Amino acid sequence: MTKHIHHDPVDLLPIGSPRHWRSLDEREETPEARQAAHDEFKPGAMNFSDRPSTNLSRRTFLTLVGATTALAATVACDKKGRSTVVPYTKRPLEVVPGVANYYASSFPEGRRAYSVLVKTREGRPIHITGNDEHPGLKGKTSPRALADVLRLYDPDRLRAPKINGRPASWVEAEQTLLAALAAAKREAKPVLLLTGATSSPTRKALLADLQAAVPTLRHLAWEPALGDGAQEGAVASYGAPLEIRPRLEQAKVILSLGADFLNGDDPEAIAAFMAKRRPAEPVESMNRLWVLEGAMSLTGTNADQRFPVLPSRIAALAFALAKELGAAQIPTLPTPKKLGIPAEAWTKLIHDLKTAGRDAVVLCGEAMPAEAHVATALLNSILGSQAFEARPAETLATLKDLDAALADMNAGKFAAVILWDVNPAYAFPKTAEWKTAFEKIPVRAWIGLIEDESAAQCSLVLPEHHWLEAWGDHTDGTILTLQQPTIGALYDSKQGEDLVLTLLKGLGVAKPADYHAYLQARWQKEVHGKGSLASFDQFFQSALHDGVVKLEGKSSATPAFKTAAVSEMAVRALGTPTDGFELLLRPGTQVHDGRYGNSSWLQELPDPITKATWGNPLSLSVADAQTLGVKDGDMVELEVAGTKLRHPVILQPGQAKGTLALSLGYGRKTGGVARGVGFNAFSLLAIGSSAPNLRLGARVTKARGHMDLPVTQSHHRLEGRDLVRSFSLAEFAKEAKHHHEAHEHPTLYPEQQFPDHKWGMVIDLSACIGCSACSLACQSENNIPSVGPDQIAKGREMHWMRIDRYYEGEIDNPKVVHQPMLCQHCDAAPCENVCPVNATNHSPDGLNQMAYNRCVGTRYCANNCPYKVRRFNFLEFTADKVEPESLVYNPEVTVRPRGVMEKCTFCVQRIQDVKIRAKGDNRPIKDGEVQPACAAACPSHAIVFGDLKDPNSEVSKLAKSKRGFKVLEELGARPAITYLADLKNPALASNREGAAHE
Amino acid sequence: MHLFDRAFRLVLPLGAVAVLGTVLTVGWFTQPDRYAKGFAPQQPIPFSHQLHAGTLKMSCTYCHSGVTKSRAAGIPSVETCMGCHKVTKTDTPAIKELTRIFNAGEALPWKRVHTLPDHVFFDHRPHVNSGVACQTCHGEVQNMKVVTREMGMRMGNCLACHRDPHTALPKDSKITRAAEHCAACHR
Repeated sequence: MTKHIHHDPVDLLPIGSPRHWRSLDEREETPEARQAAHDEFKPGAMNFSDRPSTNLSRRTFLTLVGATTALAATVACDKKGRSTVVPYTKRPLEVVPGVANYYASSFPEGRRAYSVLVKTREGRPIHITGNDEHPGLKGKTSPRALADVLRLYDPDRLRAPKINGRPASWVEAEQTLLAALAAAKREAKPVLLLTGATSSPTRKALLADLQAAVPTLRHLAWEPALGDGAQEGAVASYGAPLEIRPRLEQAKVILSLGADFLNGDDPEAIAAFMAKRRPAEPVESMNRLWVLEGAMSLTGTNADQRFPVLPSRIAALAFALAKELGAAQIPTLPTPKKLGIPAEAWTKLIHDLKTAGRDAVVLCGEAMPAEAHVATALLNSILGSQAFEARPAETLATLKDLDAALADMNAGKFAAVILWDVNPAYAFPKTAEWKTAFEKIPVRAWIGLIEDESAAQCSLVLPEHHWLEAWGDHTDGTILTLQQPTIGALYDSKQGEDLVLTLLKGLGVAKPADYHAYLQARWQKEVHGKGSLASFDQFFQSALHDGVVKLEGKSSATPAFKTAAVSEMAVRALGTPTDGFELLLRPGTQVHDGRYGNSSWLQELPDPITKATWGNPLSLSVADAQTLGVKDGDMVELEVAGTKLRHPVILQPGQAKGTLALSLGYGRKTGGVARGVGFNAFSLLAIGSSAPNLRLGARVTKARGHMDLPVTQSHHRLEGRDLVRSFSLAEFAKEAKHHHEAHEHPTLYPEQQFPDHKWGMVIDLSACIGCSACSLACQSENNIPSVGPDQIAKGREMHWMRIDRYYEGEIDNPKVVHQPMLCQHCDAAPCENVCPVNATNHSPDGLNQMAYNRCVGTRYCANNCPYKVRRFNFLEFTADKVEPESLVYNPEVTVRPRGVMEKCTFCVQRIQDVKIRAKGDNRPIKDGEVQPACAAACPSHAIVFGDLKDPNSEVSKLAKSKRGFKVLEELGARPAITYLADLKNPALASNREGAAHE
Repeated sequence: MHLFDRAFRLVLPLGAVAVLGTVLTVGWFTQPDRYAKGFAPQQPIPFSHQLHAGTLKMSCTYCHSGVTKSRAAGIPSVETCMGCHKVTKTDTPAIKELTRIFNAGEALPWKRVHTLPDHVFFDHRPHVNSGVACQTCHGEVQNMKVVTREMGMRMGNCLACHRDPHTALPKDSKITRAAEHCAACHR
């Protein structure tokens, strides 16, 4: 931290402002990093062709001149503007062409489902947001739900049923499957039904019906990436496979043992955790997040106090904590220091937990072994924690269960198999054995969205509806959410439940005509209150409208902890020490277990921490990398219990020494987008372990070769200036005394006039967790193309909104700040002055507007933008998009061609729409009525948008916060975005504070 | 030899450039103006605005009902036509064709008369809601047997009115100027 940067404007930094760094190169100030800061574009970004340039010969020149002439003559004869306009033949009553309709539905993902609002235009879904009627989610949802609208229009979707590779009709396919089931039933041979997990009570009822009709059916619900430890731990602790979810509204102390509850998947937890962490004035106390983890997670980056520890030691640490808090039956454990935590911190942590009592909670990561989960449950029961909720959940099949099924396959026991939304040929660790055994089943049926590795082995391949085309319901125990189709089926597909119904009918069990009727019948019986005044139709209509039904009288009680397993688990936690690395296998932040591998939006969304796109490099600690002599992108050979993989590495500051981390879900062999991206790490899962996702004794050796990783964080550097501010509570108290309102720097340009509105934004870095939901929402709203790994490597990504991730402090355990960076809509915008054709200029409501049709692509504006937020269409990223891909476009936003500059518009289409509506109603615009896509998607309400001219608007008030600052204020560009400094509540005084005191 | 060399090095490229220049210039000035006034294409059903809006005095918004609610005024659905033509004039060839299209559930592709480039996001709502008559831009449609483009769809025409809208607005309107910034229409 002592190296000094050339031209560092340190004098301009406020008191206590530390040096932040974004990459290791930047921290070390290597010559490459300096060059990168100096150059506007990465090497290669300026080549307009992907082929190496050749010298233009005279002959080629003349050929081109001729071709241009011919082309010019042809273009002059086009028929543009002579188009047709086709009205509806019968217009549905609720559709007005040009006006969006919103439908409440649910996005199912394994055991969870998210209540969402689907925006449709002329009958096609184009954008997804959270459902504001849902009492917990309050209009927020998971980033993958936002992105999943793209999968609906995936050109790789299976379009019609296939039997043995040839197109077939549904009737034929169903008859084949039915005959197999009937025969199995007659001969009492088992049938394997392998599905993903579900949260749908009606689907469970339907499968129970199928089980009753075919008693030999063996149903396994399998989620390959989650690990089996949590389930085993919950059964040992509570006697049931409960799902533990945080409830952090009142929590004062939160201890995460490798639990990544802030990764964006749980918007309720994020909102609750962040609710009280955004004071405008200095405060005495705040909730405190302790994180003990091996690899760096998003939760770790948001920790107040974080310690990197080996994942295998976490269970022992948890038991040691329990012992300190007074638990019996626990053997003597190594000292905390030996387990990786300094004594001072240990004492403070125990004090914190004791003081908070029922307002403290311990959360355990899904990849952790069962013993860690038992220790966590024990800790929570000692604390009497009220800050978590145990939800009843479906029993999931473990890898051991699948291995048993594999043995039965080999023994030729199964008469038939149905795969429904699972991909064992890809995700089962012993792929080759699985494939051989699977072929021994006579009738193999597969139903899913996009043909995968498993479908290739099936005789019956059946296309399933996307969830936006299907009916369903989901529950978390207290709230029932409804899933409704928002578009008619695009292809000759069926929803899986309808296939099951057909089978049931064929087996002689009388059932309603379709799943919609089945669901309604079940709801009428089970959900619709007997004494309810509303008729069932009214009730169902209202459920369709709201998307949620509160289940009366259902509330989750804290389950009783069973102490029986404690001593055995504590002994297991001691473990046997192993040599080598510990490898943590996590579901990919973007592609999860590989099911979203074909979504280019998700593949291109940078990992929130490593900022790597399109792949899963093996992350290892900087210290280990130095020992091995590897740098970012160097290939290593990873060996775990005999399985070998060649993999590129990425260096991760803050990762525990001796820990490796790898994302699952990559290395797919099918799918136009997914194929060949990254490496398949499922082969490394341990079968029969209580922690299949945690492997001990891994070996890493340097291998030959190097791969240029498409990592975005080294792009668009801002000349080494410090752009984020981050305080501890004590530092904030000191800073607040010196805080002055941002003073306007003098300018030579005429003052901008804002007669009616001045749109502006406040981004609270303290509340931002870095989940990147905003980036995805922006991509979906603004028709932003994905460009692919080669283009990313050249620095040509198109995201209008990026999240800059800054490290501060020591490499082995840095503090992290996430900063969403987008067009700052400066009043004295440097980009506007240099545009030779006035394509970018200022609007009277404070927007830095961009007229694409005027832009000639000089790129002067991008060069002059101090925030590096302008994006240039170096290549034609959109013209080859035809239906179905083009159906996802938002018709309110221009699709930009090659050669055009673009950037954040503050979602001007939404501003215009609200303005026009308000004008039509003859009323002023209400505060909060205009919500850009990013602000609407942010689960922690870190992004607030509004009118800075209205002194009572939320954004005006927040902009006056004592944590407020503008990025690069000293340049006098007068940005319209105010950032609020990050605030952390560390338990121990940092070196920085120590230095400040001296 | 020198002569040929010169011809190849200088005259030929210059000639090529000259030919290109001529083609582009001639092409530019003779190209059909796709946004100019006077465009009156033949429609698949010979619908007469003169009869419906003029003689029968039907309100424009009866068919173009989106105009107050949506960016697009909207072309009426075939069902809207059939609202009357189930019983009216059922024996004429045009209505027979219309009935056939409706019963078959086919699409009816009208020729677009008023068209704008893709990067223009014109919104009918603020114009109609502030009292601008349809005829201001679309001409005296109630007198047209075949709809003709009466105003060139060029930005100059938009801006002329936005800078001085009083002739288009009702007399008591308080509006003196309309939006002139890029993002009002381009985004």
